[in-house]
Amino acid sequence: MTRRPRPELTGWAFLAPYAVAVALLVAVPALLNVGYAVTDHTGLTRDPQFVGLANVRRMLDDRFLLDSLEASLAHVALAVPVRFVAAVGLGLLLAAPRPGGRWFRTAVYLPTVIPDVALAVLFLWVLNPLYGPLNQFLGLFGHAGYNWLADPTTARLAVVLMLAFPIGEGFVVVLAARRLLDGRLYEAAALEGCGPFGQLRRLTLPLLAPVLVLLAVRDIILTLQVNFVPAYVLTDGRPANATLYLPVYIFDQVFEFSGFAYGSLVTILLMLITTVIIIGLLLGVRRWRVLR
Amino acid sequence: MKGVIRLEALTRSYGATTAVDGVDLTVRAGELVTLVGPSGSGKSTILRLIAGLDRPDSGRVLVDGADVAGMPPHRRAVAMVFQDYALFPHLTVLGNLTFGPRVRRVRRAEADRRARQAAQRLGIADLLDRYPDQMSGGQRQRVALARALLRDPSVYLLDEPLASLDAPLRFATRADLLTLHRELRTTAIHVTHDQHEAMTLGDRVVVLAEGRIRQVGAPQQVYDEPADTFVAGFLGSPPMNLVPGGGVLGGDATLTVGVRPEDLTLDEAGTVTATVEAIEALGSEAVLLTRCPDGTRLTVRTGPRPGVAPGDEVRLRADRLHRFEAATGRRR
Repeated sequence: MTRRPRPELTGWAFLAPYAVAVALLVAVPALLNVGYAVTDHTGLTRDPQFVGLANVRRMLDDRFLLDSLEASLAHVALAVPVRFVAAVGLGLLLAAPRPGGRWFRTAVYLPTVIPDVALAVLFLWVLNPLYGPLNQFLGLFGHAGYNWLADPTTARLAVVLMLAFPIGEGFVVVLAARRLLDGRLYEAAALEGCGPFGQLRRLTLPLLAPVLVLLAVRDIILTLQVNFVPAYVLTDGRPANATLYLPVYIFDQVFEFSGFAYGSLVTILLMLITTVIIIGLLLGVRRWRVLR
Repeated sequence: MKGVIRLEALTRSYGATTAVDGVDLTVRAGELVTLVGPSGSGKSTILRLIAGLDRPDSGRVLVDGADVAGMPPHRRAVAMVFQDYALFPHLTVLGNLTFGPRVRRVRRAEADRRARQAAQRLGIADLLDRYPDQMSGGQRQRVALARALLRDPSVYLLDEPLASLDAPLRFATRADLLTLHRELRTTAIHVTHDQHEAMTLGDRVVVLAEGRIRQVGAPQQVYDEPADTFVAGFLGSPPMNLVPGGGVLGGDATLTVGVRPEDLTLDEAGTVTATVEAIEALGSEAVLLTRCPDGTRLTVRTGPRPGVAPGDEVRLRADRLHRFEAATGRRR
């Protein structure tokens, strides 16, 4: 007689490969990271020594970290809304079937397929003060243009501008979610005299709220991290530390200055900042009934 | 009195299919008219054309004598109840009811007052804080009706309002709808594919097939004198027996002769001989499925316990024969 496996064991068995991978690749390194943060590990030697809160004390005096924090927060404050409005706006505009719609949808998604580094190199050309198309475009209106990557403010704007293009994932999610909404709701609203903007405000946005909140949360996490490539290729954290975003700073500490332990601590700080922003966002949208 | 609807040569095609094909109809003020037909007969499209949710290819819709072409839906003084109610899922009942008034810039306090009044009338006053997904189908249907009531329209357009309800609830709600219509005395156009609803709910019934009107009349009149073989077969359950050429019912090749199952009676002196093939006992009545020697099948409706068994030979008397042209199907 064959013994039938117990159902709960079957479940665990299916979960096991994923659980093992998560433990080995995420959980253990994360815990190790916390451990390294209280040592003097350089990443080069084998015997890190416990130093207590020395790294935290160093952090409190770190002027560069302050610059880095400011750069990261400014970037999130600008890039998340820009990317969000672009993804949601284009998703809603292109959701309805119309002639040529698929070409527009492809065009919106295309930058997402391009590797970050390639897009950054492309933007080095776009932003070139002498022959870049952006300055030439401004020239059409009689504007002298900017030396984009040499000025702190325009350098930050340049990174935001570049990251405003790879929005394909949010775009596709909004597109799909909008197409799932029941057309009759819009007819019912039209019968009540609700015009296109009223429908957007009273129907589309509230109905998509759960999806939009999810996208915003995801984009905050992403935006705090993916500015590494553009900052590294376009500006290398300069000018005047304007684009020394936290991921760039962590990379510099860990791999350039052999400050593995200190870098680990900044990683934890980055995670805490992300958590705080997201909790703030979720508290802000509580009344939208999106987290049932 | 307002609420007169006139449709003139109304036509609407989608690609190669003609959904509504030259429909002429006048609905009198305060009348409850039922559009009935199989699916794809164009009845819902007619409602949408009246509501302004769709535009006709040709023909006109007149409300109280005025052509409403080019008039947006909310200017047409119509309220629509959708089959699946189309309640806004992110709003409570109160939010759903005040949606229209708020869009029309009625002050919140006044909108609330009207919403509560409408909710009171339909017996959903204690559900105002619920969301649509927290209610039963019947409750949702009442919310949809209350929302329509708040429009205070000249015409109610009801698109299969009972189709999503289970049978006992449908029966009760049908009666409620009639009561409501009697109180309001507002013109209403009701669409259904259910012939019971068509017979019971409506001053007049409009039978549609393939986008064309087959017959308009009082339900009993349409039942008693169907204008063609389609109407004869569509209204009534079980449907009318239609015998091409007359056959056992008598007639000639130019005719199709019909007889309703209840007009066939078991009678020793009857002229039609048939063999009982099956009996459907429905409790309050029985339906006999019989076959004549020439192969014609006849359905007979009798009282309960007819006293025959499958295989028995019976004699039938046929009253009230209907005669239709064999070529056109029209009533002769």
